[in-house]
Amino acid sequence: MNTSALAAIAVFAAALLSVFGVLYRMASRSHARGELSYDGIRILRWALLGQLAIFAILALTAFLT
Amino acid sequence: MIPPVALVLGLALKSLFVLDYVHVITGASWTGFDLYTGIVLSRILRSLEVPARVEVAKRLTPTTFFIIPSLAAVAITSGIYLAQAMGKFDLGDPWILAAGAIVVVLTVQGFGVFLPNGVRIFLELAKAKPDPALISRLTMRNVRLAASQAVFQVLIILVMAHLAVY
Repeated sequence: MNTSALAAIAVFAAALLSVFGVLYRMASRSHARGELSYDGIRILRWALLGQLAIFAILALTAFLT
Repeated sequence: MIPPVALVLGLALKSLFVLDYVHVITGASWTGFDLYTGIVLSRILRSLEVPARVEVAKRLTPTTFFIIPSLAAVAITSGIYLAQAMGKFDLGDPWILAAGAIVVVLTVQGFGVFLPNGVRIFLELAKAKPDPALISRLTMRNVRLAASQAVFQVLIILVMAHLAVY
């Protein structure tokens, strides 16, 4: 297992999650004010899931080296 | 999803050839996208009125949500594995350090500015009353950022060419 690669991927994923967290909070507030439809929140969740899937696959590579 | 799966395949097969191919194709596609966006698309967008820019953003932004982060993450990861496999991952080597520094700049720009801007554009577009001026401003910021990324990517290709030959 490549520990440094796994650590680097975890750091990237954490940074991305924090950025998405801020954006999700902004989107939730807009939704609460009635400016943003639920579709916007739903697509944002799918986007986040897609990014997490990419990082999960990359994390898998750390076990292959 | 194809680039990370291809990387897993290359590593599972322990094939230096596949790993090299994945690194070159993802890196070249990422660079090509940024060069095209920064040089060609930016000129086109500047010549358009704000409503037309918004129409372009509506179609361009969701595509870039997945393609660019996927290409960038795989190009960088495969590059590190490739350098390790070829015995070139020496942190005392100035060329490796230069590659690392450029990668940090590209990563911070891409994941810290480009991606969040893309999400903000999308969220604004999803509103009942989107703000065209904000969408146009964020889109133009991303286009200018792509131009800056293109410069760093041309530099990293120079570093890669040196590492591949020497």
